[in-house]
Amino acid sequence: MDWDILVALLAAAVQSGTPILYATLGEMLSEKGGVLNLGVEGMMSVAALAAFLTAHLTGSAWLGLAAGGAAGACLALLHAVVCIGFLGNQVVSGLALTILGLGLTHFFGTPFIGLAAPGFSKFSLPLLGSLPVLGDILFRQDALVYLSYLLPAGFWFFLQRTRPGLAVRAVGEMPAAVAAAGLHPLRLRFFTAVAGGGLVGLGGAYLSLAYTHLWTNGLSAGRGWIAVALVIFAFWKPGRAVIGAYLFGGVMAFQLRLQATGTNLPSSLLLMLPYALTVLVLVFSAWRGRAAGAPAALGVNIEPEG
Amino acid sequence: MDQLPARPEHLALPDAEPVVALRGLTKRFGKVLANDSITLEIRPGRIKALLGENGAGKSTLMGMLAGRLAPDAGRIEVDGRKTRFASAREAIAAGIGMVYQHFMLVDAMSVAENVLLGQEPGFLLSPRDMERRVAELAVRYRLEIDPAARVGDLSMGEKQLVEILKLLARDSRVLIFDEPTAVLTPAETFRLFEALWSMTSQGKAVVFISHKLEEVLAVADEIAVLRAGKVEAELRPEEIGSKADLARIMIGKDVLLEVDRTAAEVREQVLEIRNLTGLGLADINLTLQRGEILAVVGVAGNGQKPLVEAVCGLTRPPRDTIFILGKPWREYYADPDWKHTLSYIPEDRLGLATMRNKNLVDNMLLTTRKGFRKGPLLRTGQAEAKTRALVKRFDIKPGRVRVLAWQLSGGNLQKAVLARELFREPRLIVAEQPTQGLDVAATEEVWRRLLDARDMAGILLVTGDLNEALQLADRVAVMYRGRVVAQFPVTDQEQVDRIGLYMAGVTES
Repeated sequence: MDWDILVALLAAAVQSGTPILYATLGEMLSEKGGVLNLGVEGMMSVAALAAFLTAHLTGSAWLGLAAGGAAGACLALLHAVVCIGFLGNQVVSGLALTILGLGLTHFFGTPFIGLAAPGFSKFSLPLLGSLPVLGDILFRQDALVYLSYLLPAGFWFFLQRTRPGLAVRAVGEMPAAVAAAGLHPLRLRFFTAVAGGGLVGLGGAYLSLAYTHLWTNGLSAGRGWIAVALVIFAFWKPGRAVIGAYLFGGVMAFQLRLQATGTNLPSSLLLMLPYALTVLVLVFSAWRGRAAGAPAALGVNIEPEG
Repeated sequence: MDQLPARPEHLALPDAEPVVALRGLTKRFGKVLANDSITLEIRPGRIKALLGENGAGKSTLMGMLAGRLAPDAGRIEVDGRKTRFASAREAIAAGIGMVYQHFMLVDAMSVAENVLLGQEPGFLLSPRDMERRVAELAVRYRLEIDPAARVGDLSMGEKQLVEILKLLARDSRVLIFDEPTAVLTPAETFRLFEALWSMTSQGKAVVFISHKLEEVLAVADEIAVLRAGKVEAELRPEEIGSKADLARIMIGKDVLLEVDRTAAEVREQVLEIRNLTGLGLADINLTLQRGEILAVVGVAGNGQKPLVEAVCGLTRPPRDTIFILGKPWREYYADPDWKHTLSYIPEDRLGLATMRNKNLVDNMLLTTRKGFRKGPLLRTGQAEAKTRALVKRFDIKPGRVRVLAWQLSGGNLQKAVLARELFREPRLIVAEQPTQGLDVAATEEVWRRLLDARDMAGILLVTGDLNEALQLADRVAVMYRGRVVAQFPVTDQEQVDRIGLYMAGVTES
């Protein structure tokens, strides 16, 4: 294979891994606080539409990004009210959220198919962008990709080196201990679930504002589900989430390119590749880690006392 | 339990002003008067033991002190000032902290993180700094613990130390311990007592809730005995003649810490274990006849568990080693009848013996459903009537059959299990720690029921309580490292005196 093609492929892997990375970290934050949210796919899709419409109407990509984040946070708030407020089943509520989100997007998005919106364009970072190979892969991307480079470290720092982060970890493990320590487990869970939803929303916004600049239905294309699986693959560690996200980005970019070369392989088989990899990754995680690192109270609602 | 440490002399500080005083505290639940005008003073530098049977009102009283319950009458004074706690948080802020029986710890986090969770404001934290601070605190109160260790890796005793450190870290002045030794080994109990003394010598006040007489006598500076919601007596350990005296005050009538037993008629053999090796056991040979009780004793973890599991069908023993009611193990467990067979009374009452979220009827059917079947259906009406009769006969409180298993107190739950198993009229009973955690009255009742059951069954009693073994059993088998190192009738006083040695694996003089 030609060297230039490989570099281009890796750059594409980073780009298509970025929305997955946002969504994975968002879901990870929510799960660290003990709230399992299977609505990622629906949240990403609604956020993509909200971001596109806002950018389309206002002409500002940044406002679009904010709208995407807000849309993700709003849907996560709905999930939080159902699960934390009314002790609903987290799995059921999350699945409902996905169906709701995909339905809303399809219904409201269809009239806008083919319209364009201002989005984020690639630019080369000074100095770093002129590095050989690495510059081409990592530093000739758009602003949201650069932002995502800082995210995992910030995520780690928040959880491991700050008091609120300590409390978030504790509430995902043993809410009763948090209450006994005089903190507020329910508030903490609301906060992490909604903040996680905001991150997922940014991932969705990336799809319509940077990945494409056009609206089309089905933009999320299963990335939300991949994010849910990647949280498990990453053993709830942000560093491993980066590896996972770019691995999937790579496979997605690869199958696109392979289709473009006019290969004889049926396209549906290629489209299946990322999901086949998802299954493999989950098998690998189960075999290696036995769900190591899963917060002990993940998916378990906080029952009121007495 | 007779190796408890001796209380250091004159450790208690001279009479100081009480940190906390309870004045005429009264609490009702509906018609039940749980606490009736209780007055107590808790002084710094003292260990105040609160002794009482289950249901005497200890938990209610401490619930009010810890801010979880609001008193109906009376008041709490902290440093002489009248105080009202609206929540546990306010009680903690006033310096009153409680170590609960069920630990509130995050297994996945370190000791230091657990101790300092929710402590003081600030945004950033440094693990090294946190570990240093917790280490200092531990050294100051002579608690041995590694602040960097993951809590999930700790023993029960060490986890309790973490709970104590949590209270010390927030400068609690009154530390309340609710049945703290229930989860501890004797060695850990010893270390806990030393930690308590270390805390009181530095001016902390300790409240020690228990129904274990020996421990209260060993550790307390002052003893308050609670009975039926009232303070029955306030004593100093020196004023108490014997354990029996204290027990008499506690339950209000003379306790049979000893039971009268007359030998029952010994009939056919119901259990035979022949050269059982494997499952962590070595060369076990035991027989049991209907009409007798064989006690298996030993330090926990010396093979009692695998023995019980093999006999009760939870694990599969090697061929031709265990014979139940004359049948080889495989043949017996191929299709055991529900009646006139083996009954198992497990140690784990709320896990193995009962379903915690099911009512007493369903729990009764757990082992007796074959007796209520009608083709593929269950005669539920009959089962409910039978359960109601058993609840009445065994006096299981609160006297309703729709109550869920977890809502029963330990003693009543055990009575329910006994009622169910005796209803099966077993020929062989395996009773595992049948009175662990029960109060004196419930223990006595369980003993009586077991002694009465000898008429129909042979009983294999696996217990860690030597007194229980000697009170009930006809013969005693001592286990050590998976072997039965000695087996003798309880009338053989010479051998009985050597049980301690046998349990330590010393068999030759």
